[in-house]
Amino acid sequence: MSAILRLLARYRRATILTATLVVSFLLMTLQVRHETAVVTFTRQALLFIVSPFIKVTAATVRGVSNTWRDYVDLRGLQEENTRLQRETAILKRRIDQLEEQALETQRLQALLAMRQASRAEFLTARVVGKDATNWFKTVLLDRGSLEGVRRNQPVVVPDGLVGRVVEVTPTSAKVQLLTDPVNAVGGLIQRTRVTGIVSGNLGAGARVRYLPLMADVVGGDQVVTSGMGGVFPKGIPIGRITAVERRSGALFQEATLQPAVDLNRLEEVLILTTLEANAGREVGTSLGAGTGFEAGNGRRP
Amino acid sequence: MRWFLPGLLACVLAQAVLLGPLSLGGIRPDLFLLLVFLVSQRVSPEAATLLGFLVGLFQDALSGSPLGLRAFTDSLMGFLAARLSHDMYTDKPLALFWLLLGGTAAAGGITLALLTFFLGPPPLFPALLWVIAPEALYTAAVGLLIVWLPQLRAVLARAA
Repeated sequence: MSAILRLLARYRRATILTATLVVSFLLMTLQVRHETAVVTFTRQALLFIVSPFIKVTAATVRGVSNTWRDYVDLRGLQEENTRLQRETAILKRRIDQLEEQALETQRLQALLAMRQASRAEFLTARVVGKDATNWFKTVLLDRGSLEGVRRNQPVVVPDGLVGRVVEVTPTSAKVQLLTDPVNAVGGLIQRTRVTGIVSGNLGAGARVRYLPLMADVVGGDQVVTSGMGGVFPKGIPIGRITAVERRSGALFQEATLQPAVDLNRLEEVLILTTLEANAGREVGTSLGAGTGFEAGNGRRP
Repeated sequence: MRWFLPGLLACVLAQAVLLGPLSLGGIRPDLFLLLVFLVSQRVSPEAATLLGFLVGLFQDALSGSPLGLRAFTDSLMGFLAARLSHDMYTDKPLALFWLLLGGTAAAGGITLALLTFFLGPPPLFPALLWVIAPEALYTAAVGLLIVWLPQLRAVLARAA
């Protein structure tokens, strides 16, 4: 025993390096294979330590920038602009909602009459932090489990889908954005009802994969959540197709997508805290389009 | 060493909150890695490894990455930076810039390799084009600014 200790002390440098690398590797392995209590606890503890500082800093930055903006801008014009922007967002939401409702009504008129109205509950949250790496796309919210936030709850804004909650501490929650490379959402081309998988990528925007080769998809088509997967309400706007790629020999076609929401400028978001069996459709239509989230490749940490 | 914990907290706040408006095409400098580089110049390789591990854990907790991804990278980079500190630490800004550029790019390469191992291969070209290269450039530029700004001020003060 003492010989081993002497050996470790002699090669202390290599021992410490090997130990840290092995521990890091084990943590990753445990987390990627299945979420273990040790990893979850460590993540949440670290997040819990820094989230109060982040909240205070975000509030300070917000306060300073608001003061500065109010000072520089003409106050009346700014308020008018904000009001008009809000009205435009509500009108856009209403148009999307009506389009989706009309299409749905045509197909499901008989069933629609049987549908029971149900309500979804929202929780407003502020974005207080962004991902600490350039490899993933997540944001930190100032609401946590104490306010009823749980994993996998959808996050939206009036313009459309933002993402889903992937991690919760008592006072904060981490949201995986639609454009995160390991995210995947069931999408539906609103015009032709063709389904595909919307996933993020390392660059800007997102991609719609696994679109049938002969499917009618063109630039400008609106994509909404498909409702398959049971996490998101059906019909939430995801974005618009900007380009379609048909590679020779490929089994599917792919498209690039411009998200409906400017995910770089998120400030306040809505978390869907209650989502009953039929609530999804209600939420989706009220946001302008309904729910579908397939949890990425199933390996999201 | 006294400024390590305040430095870590400053990195957390800057990376998560303050750097948002300074992002170029969604890319921000990796301040955590810069902290590891700078601390590693002043401590032993063992300490640099452990501090890199701690910094990486915080970075992972604030990110969507699996816990351990950046801890692995940062501890390895900390060790290498400390081990080679006599050869690395230089007074020439251009050399320092290339050093930071190479170090950040190497860290990006390790991250890419680990992501490929654990989550499947991300597309190589977009990873190089949209993440590794711009992040390395931005981080090296900011690192150079952080290291050289105080020295530049001192030189200017002396000249005045």
